[in-house]
Amino acid sequence: MSQFIQATLYGLLQGCMFGLVAVGFSLVWGVMHVVNLAHGAFVLLGAYLAWQLNAAFGLDPFLGMVPAGLALFAFGYLLQRGLINLVVNAPIFITLLLTFGLELLLVNGLILGFTADYRSIPTTYAGKSMVLPGDVRIPFGRLFAAMLAVSVTLGLFYVIRRTRVGLAILATGMDRGAARLMGIGARHTYALTFAIAAALAGAAGAAVGAVSTFSPADAGRFTLFSFVAAVLGGLGNTSGALFGGLLLGVVEAWGGQLLPGTWINAMAFGVLVVVLAVRPQGLAGKAFYASRVEV
Amino acid sequence: MPEMQPGVTQGAIANPAGPTRPANGTARPMHPVAGWLAGAAIVLAALGLITQLYTGQVRTVTTIFMFVGLASAWNLIGGFTGYACFGQVGFFGLGGYATAVSMSHARLDFWLALPLSAAIGGAFAALVGWPLLRLRGHYFAVATLGVAEGLREIVINLPDLTGGGGGITIPTAGDHAPTPWLGNDGFYVLFLLLAAGVVAVAACVSGHRTGYALRAIHQDEEAAAAIGINTTAAKLMAFAGSAALTSALGSAYAFQQVTIFPQRLFDVELTVLMVVMVILGGAGTIAGPVIGAVGIAFASEWLRQELPRGHAFALGALIVVAVILLPQGVQNYVRDAWRERRFSLLENVRRYRL
Repeated sequence: MSQFIQATLYGLLQGCMFGLVAVGFSLVWGVMHVVNLAHGAFVLLGAYLAWQLNAAFGLDPFLGMVPAGLALFAFGYLLQRGLINLVVNAPIFITLLLTFGLELLLVNGLILGFTADYRSIPTTYAGKSMVLPGDVRIPFGRLFAAMLAVSVTLGLFYVIRRTRVGLAILATGMDRGAARLMGIGARHTYALTFAIAAALAGAAGAAVGAVSTFSPADAGRFTLFSFVAAVLGGLGNTSGALFGGLLLGVVEAWGGQLLPGTWINAMAFGVLVVVLAVRPQGLAGKAFYASRVEV
Repeated sequence: MPEMQPGVTQGAIANPAGPTRPANGTARPMHPVAGWLAGAAIVLAALGLITQLYTGQVRTVTTIFMFVGLASAWNLIGGFTGYACFGQVGFFGLGGYATAVSMSHARLDFWLALPLSAAIGGAFAALVGWPLLRLRGHYFAVATLGVAEGLREIVINLPDLTGGGGGITIPTAGDHAPTPWLGNDGFYVLFLLLAAGVVAVAACVSGHRTGYALRAIHQDEEAAAAIGINTTAAKLMAFAGSAALTSALGSAYAFQQVTIFPQRLFDVELTVLMVVMVILGGAGTIAGPVIGAVGIAFASEWLRQELPRGHAFALGALIVVAVILLPQGVQNYVRDAWRERRFSLLENVRRYRL
């Protein structure tokens, strides 16, 4: 029983991080109809940045979330403004290919710069954990990471719903033509949206670096997790992505306990396909219209 | 919601991706026989080329033929029909594993395993296509991606049948080999014929009623249904046909490689390469995927030799630049530029700009 609780808790903590990664992915998808295949590479950029800061200045990776997020924000803004805006009206193949090219560039750039070795950011609290009754352990690092991930995600919801910038992003996602007529600069808004998503990915990357190992080869895995979480939550539905991430984390943890081998992966993809075929609007939330973004 | 931009032709805006008119449309009438003759001449030239190549080059050109076939097969569902199938590699892997399993466990002859694998791939596509082809756009893309990844995981988790992650080896030598290995030259001819066959199928479909039905679905599915096209049947046919051809290529690839691994046979990068080749060559055309496949496969091999460490990096840069400069593909660009006497690539960049 305690093993089950342990697995569930681990899954929930892991799920919070998946959620943070998936929220930005889902936002970009919902507002711009761009599937950003380079999203996982952004996570790793954040992780390597935090690693570098830790190696050079001994900066704690959780503090490193801030510079990693800021750097990725600037990078994402420039990327969207200079490159992706050029093809944002194109059919989906084009944006998929462009972001795939970017993913190749970033991942292989990281391999050239940092080698393909697995590494992690050393912390003083890495091995320490909180012991609950029944010998259930919660590592402090993971707890921190999950709490930060959830607060950053909630912060994003506040920004999107309550600030002028966020409302501009929502409006542009709902109807770009009308938003432009209201005086919203679509190019700037798109760039901001992408920048926010990249910043969240970068911050998540720093947190990932603090609690587990990473290598450039993980980029595809993170993109795939974002995909699955975003689909489970309903494509483009940002708060759904957080729940999708939690669900994914828990299911992954349970599957590791109950199923032999890696059948859990096969099952996860099976669930993904069935959810898409039966309930394309996602498990949580309302029906999603192609031209709308739900937050 | 494409917005009107000054300085871009109307046709380009109405349907940016697709063939707004048949590939051999009114602009440049080409007699169908001329196309077939040109194709036959290219196949004969490729057969003659084999005498001029070193062994290593033979293998490289064989790979290029495989990609010509894969790109043309993907073009049926992705280019003509406009359904972004991102799980195409699943059919490739399915074909490969069907051949490997039937040859090593059931001792089936390769020449029987090849059509059997194609049939399995087509049947599987029809089965999953029935529910999935109701999805559109990104939903379809993600669902097919999930199917391909799921297939890989199933193959990994059935080690008794497929060898699991450790791979499976087809017996190709000795008395117990169902079919002896064909040799580099044999596979060169096999892949050349398979690629030519796929292109020929695409050409037949393109000129046939089905081709027009598929293009109509691409442009407006409701309108296509309204004028009496059985859209479900047409889409299923395109999907299953594309999958069967891809499975046949996967089958030949498995036999060529002898030992196959799930990580390679279900590599998402293969799907992406097919898509890149079709889009950059010209989606929904006959020659486009061939041009794209030859160009990208050649560039990829050249980069691999010139930049052993950074070739994937350079390939990424190449894709980014090509997508920005030629979003409609080489074939469509050349056709439109020739007709309108406007060759500026910068104008091209403005086409999809925000």
